[in-house]
Amino acid sequence: MKKFLLVLVAVASVFAIEEASAQIKVGEGQISIALESNNSYYTPDKTLENVGLIKAYDRVRGDFGSNDYLKVDYSLGRFSAGIQLDGYLPGLYGYDFYTYQQRDSKLTAFLSKYVQWEDTNWGVRLGDIYDQFGNGLIFRSYEDRALAFNNSLACARAYYNFNNMVNVKVLAGLPRLYDVRSKNVIWGADLSLSISEMAGWYDGLASVEASYVGRHMGKNDAIFAIETPFVLNMVSGRANFEYAGVSFRGEYAAKLNEDLHNPMLPAAKGNVVSIDLGYNYKRFSASATFRRQENMLTNIELRPSGIGGGNVMNYLPLLTRQHTYSLANLNPYRGSIVHTGGEIGGQIDLYYSLRNPKARGKYWNFHANFSMFNTIDHRAKIMDMEMDREGRNVWIDFNFDVERQWNKQVKTTFLYSFQRWDEEINHFDAPTAHYCRSHIFVGDVTYKINKKHSLRFEAQYLASNDYEGDWVAATIEYNLAPKFSFYVSDMWNCEKMQDGQYGNYYLNLDTYEYEHHLLHYYQVGASFTHNSLRAQLSYGRNRAGYVCSGGVCRFQPAYTGVNLTLTLSF
Amino acid sequence: MLFLLAALFVGVSVSAQQLPDVKIENQDGKVVSSKSIVDGTPMIISFWSTTCKPCIMELNAINDNLYDWLDEVEFKVVAVSVDDARTVSRARAMTKGQGWDDYVCLFDKNQDFKRAMNVSLTPHTFIVDGKGNIVYSHSGYTPGSEQELFEKIKALK
Repeated sequence: MKKFLLVLVAVASVFAIEEASAQIKVGEGQISIALESNNSYYTPDKTLENVGLIKAYDRVRGDFGSNDYLKVDYSLGRFSAGIQLDGYLPGLYGYDFYTYQQRDSKLTAFLSKYVQWEDTNWGVRLGDIYDQFGNGLIFRSYEDRALAFNNSLACARAYYNFNNMVNVKVLAGLPRLYDVRSKNVIWGADLSLSISEMAGWYDGLASVEASYVGRHMGKNDAIFAIETPFVLNMVSGRANFEYAGVSFRGEYAAKLNEDLHNPMLPAAKGNVVSIDLGYNYKRFSASATFRRQENMLTNIELRPSGIGGGNVMNYLPLLTRQHTYSLANLNPYRGSIVHTGGEIGGQIDLYYSLRNPKARGKYWNFHANFSMFNTIDHRAKIMDMEMDREGRNVWIDFNFDVERQWNKQVKTTFLYSFQRWDEEINHFDAPTAHYCRSHIFVGDVTYKINKKHSLRFEAQYLASNDYEGDWVAATIEYNLAPKFSFYVSDMWNCEKMQDGQYGNYYLNLDTYEYEHHLLHYYQVGASFTHNSLRAQLSYGRNRAGYVCSGGVCRFQPAYTGVNLTLTLSF
Repeated sequence: MLFLLAALFVGVSVSAQQLPDVKIENQDGKVVSSKSIVDGTPMIISFWSTTCKPCIMELNAINDNLYDWLDEVEFKVVAVSVDDARTVSRARAMTKGQGWDDYVCLFDKNQDFKRAMNVSLTPHTFIVDGKGNIVYSHSGYTPGSEQELFEKIKALK
């Protein structure tokens, strides 16, 4: 608790500093600073602990967790330089940040830095690099704080652009693996040719691109050189076309050498095809994505601890819609490639906005979305095993939402989502599918009382045949623009059991008897905004589940506690 | 760390920050400089993504009021999507499907602009004057806070 109070004091002082300053200028250049601090104080919750929903090992690092990021940048004309300090003091529960921990320490910090020169036609950057080739299917280095993911490449990058027709980029470096630098070297080159610029065609866009990425084994991986080549080579080719509302983006990428992804399985080559189609006409637009992949997930390091969501050098995200409502997000699609190595599927989005040009404040927005994914049993093929996972459907969802702005005061949103998934697919020996189905209904009303005050009410219902059954959720939010917002929400498992009671049975780990609970996951919170400072304080019980960001998910254990998030930049 | 922060303020003068110069994709899929949006007209720059509901609410609220505000003062709205390769085509579709026809839409696929502007959480909105000076920024959205953006834009005159 003491630490938590310290954080509160820190918030107050940061706020005082922010009040006193606007922007900073040093000589001719300028400095900008951004701070993000995510803190949790975990409080005891006997109910969840007794039934094993909060486990003892969920609390090994104590009652307090804090993920913090301080970023300082300096720029002077075309020159810029910066540092970022990540601190896990200790890290919040649910982030697999400790997978590669070298020291037996709870506190972890990592410093990244760069210098950069950005000219009209060329640029050079030394230090930590965030970049990607095409869709990132063979290489992407990026940061996602919601996942505590950061695989920035430390070394050098240079590019040259010739009259917007030819763009060449080369980079090389050691990727970041959680809080250590990997010993493996990644290098790559990317070439893009703009056909439309060359032909002087300015009504649309046509380009072709090609990339190469290599991964060289360092000393941590040396023992794997017996099974797999010392250098892993990957290539990608792309074509992009856009004209009069129609767009096409296609990419084919391949892993040319045998590569290990899971040390339990033999090494294999891989390939992926990804196609994006887009169309828009006036207020209607559509986009569709298709992707087929086989053994393309590529680790930074192969060593047997080579697990964890942070040990990835390319980007193969889940393509399903990422929901913002809690019940629609209760059981997100998490992919099936862990035990199959391959996946084929796609998704379609349709948007339409119905507007009256004379009354701008009144409109309908329609959105429909469909996605479907089947397995390709790459693992069974290479191991010559009968697994019956080939072509098995693992996920289907259909979503429809409509947003209506009735007048200046009232806005409503309605969402329906159908989700069906194979509960068995990620169990190693799963000959037959077991499908769970959920129907989710969400209603959301915002009422603007006047220019400053507004209320929002949200109600959700989930009907499902999975092991937990039905859920209900509701939220009430009161906003005092532009600075304050307050909310109360609850979500509970309301399955009607055989004895007529609502809730579920849970095994008590002390008495070894099943007991009945109607578990409420409640939250109460407030947020305060002043210029670029934002502070959010909440208290509540959080269900164990998956937190997804950018198509990548991490498991979040259940907890009850106080959260304080602070972001600030100047 | 706080002492460090405080120390930074000693001996530095205070003035407006300039818009950084990074590469970003425009509506037509072409890579342009982030500076290219500076053309003498003041602007609201709003960072959004397809999975950020308050961002979309804010951009819609500005859109609802746009013509009324433009009657009083000249400005433009720049909507910067921070969606990555996975959702950028969805973001492109959404800008049409939400009727943001009057916005300048940029697509920050590699999040270079987001990093350069020090955006941690979306929505994050900036007011930039006609010369490219960042004069105000605001993080988060509550219904009605768009009014504050309008007041700041008006104050630039």
